[in-house]
Amino acid sequence: MSGTILETQALSVGYGGRAVAKGIDLRLEAGQILCLIGPNGAGKSTLLKTLMRRLPAVEGSIRLNGRELGAIPERELARTCAAVLTGRPAPELMRCGEIVALGRYPYTGRLGLLTAEDRAVAESCMDMTGTGALRDEDFTRLSDGQRQRVLLARALCQQPKLLLLDEPISFLDIRHKLDFLLLLRELADRQKLAVVLSMHELELAKKIPDRILCLKNGQVDREGRPDEIFTGDYIRRLFDVDERSYERVCGGDAPF
Amino acid sequence: MNGQNRRYALCFALLTAGLLVLAALNLTTGSSRLSVSEVLAALGPGQSGSAAAGVVRQIRLPRLAAAALLGGALSVSGFLLQSFFANPIAGPFVLGVSSGAKLMVALCMIFCLSRGLAISSAGMIAAAFCGALLAMGFVLLASARLRGMGMLIVCGVMVGYICSAVTEIAVAFADDANIVNLHHWSQGSFSGIGWDDLAAAALTVAAALACSLLLAKPMDACRLGEGYARSMGVNIRRYRTALILTSSVLSACVTAFAGPVSFVGIAVPQLMKRLFKSAKPLLMIPACFLGGGVFCLFCDLLARILFAPTELSISSVTAVFGAPVVIRVLLSRRREAEE
Repeated sequence: MSGTILETQALSVGYGGRAVAKGIDLRLEAGQILCLIGPNGAGKSTLLKTLMRRLPAVEGSIRLNGRELGAIPERELARTCAAVLTGRPAPELMRCGEIVALGRYPYTGRLGLLTAEDRAVAESCMDMTGTGALRDEDFTRLSDGQRQRVLLARALCQQPKLLLLDEPISFLDIRHKLDFLLLLRELADRQKLAVVLSMHELELAKKIPDRILCLKNGQVDREGRPDEIFTGDYIRRLFDVDERSYERVCGGDAPF
Repeated sequence: MNGQNRRYALCFALLTAGLLVLAALNLTTGSSRLSVSEVLAALGPGQSGSAAAGVVRQIRLPRLAAAALLGGALSVSGFLLQSFFANPIAGPFVLGVSSGAKLMVALCMIFCLSRGLAISSAGMIAAAFCGALLAMGFVLLASARLRGMGMLIVCGVMVGYICSAVTEIAVAFADDANIVNLHHWSQGSFSGIGWDDLAAAALTVAAALACSLLLAKPMDACRLGEGYARSMGVNIRRYRTALILTSSVLSACVTAFAGPVSFVGIAVPQLMKRLFKSAKPLLMIPACFLGGGVFCLFCDLLARILFAPTELSISSVTAVFGAPVVIRVLLSRRREAEE
């Protein structure tokens, strides 16, 4: 089917030839959101880095937009796949408008000068993410919620088909977490973007994603629609949560 | 034209004006004072016989051209290194690159002079380039194991001391006749650079400057960090190699002809960022080149006239103006970290 953006088969990801997670079979259509969950160290970031081609796959194949990932030239890859990474960049004297416009990197010439079209794309990406008013603000002075939106706008500016986000809402307060996820859903629906994100906020993963991939102990523990994942005490088993410890902290039954 | 672009244009105009004024001052002041009209007359045709023409054409003009060109090259080299290490106080002098270049040039000069061979301008640049790369290699090896900008600088300063010490030892064993020349040069000075050397330096700097401008785009992407740069299609390995080579060529070229000049590479990029209120590489590279020229013309003027007829070494003047800038950067970083 032509709508398939990302497809992996028997994929193993890891460092230096040693697999951290094995047997990953994914299939993501345009407009779908895939959420990666699992304990720390289960390989969520490693998988995302492999999909970004920052790490070579240990085994198996990755096809992006119908082509073998390894065979795609750098510039074309950057036009197909964009990322929001963990960590907080702190560029010196950089305005948000400049950061968003950096997303035009794979489209501009040798000197990186922006054309009128590049500016228009950057403008519309800022509109989509509600960051237009921040254009002339220094990036390092923004709140975490605003920063993530600017970084998302920058990624959109690459006009990708696939968006990869590594724990994009970890630093945000609950309102900004909700806003950010709703924004992703809207982008997936309207722009037909395929989205892969990792997150720890399980209670927020029930409705937004189309698919959920659970990683644990070096392999795929479960894969499916949210309603197939959030059944019984599965989540508690996935994270090895002791019911009593949950009760002692939260004073009630675990919601999953 | 929006406000930002107007600011940039104004800054460039300011720098150019500064360059012209300082050039005029450099031409007129000195052991024999000349008026502007005398200088203009000396530069005009048919005057090559007069004493004023000799002073202006053979001494002051090449010296001021050297200060402007090499000062600019040094500042751009510093700016490239700061981008490379994501470290605001990196520069060719503190990282030991200048001293490495100095060592190789000194060894080459001693070797050639003791055999009665003349060393060409290109040969000097090549020797300096080898020395710069050698010192750079050490610093790069160390930087792979070190975290934090302070440690990197300490390591570079140590490399610089080792190279300087070896240079001193080599100079001590050189023939008497060579020592005066070598000693003068190893302290750093823009004097005594001939037109032939300048032409070679200008060609090298122009080529390296063109390379830096082509690196401005990936440098911009790398401001967000290597991860983002790669996700936008920057070939990091190729980019980093090109950046190191370009920066080494620039600082090697300066060292080959003027010896080690301290703090210009750190101070000027910092001053330009504050002047332009931007750190965009495509803007900063020409700004640093112009600003470095202005800074070095100013310092060289002071070095010449402050205690005339005794001349100060250029590094002692650049250090007086450059070191406080470094201290200010460190203090403002500290404040930001605490906020």
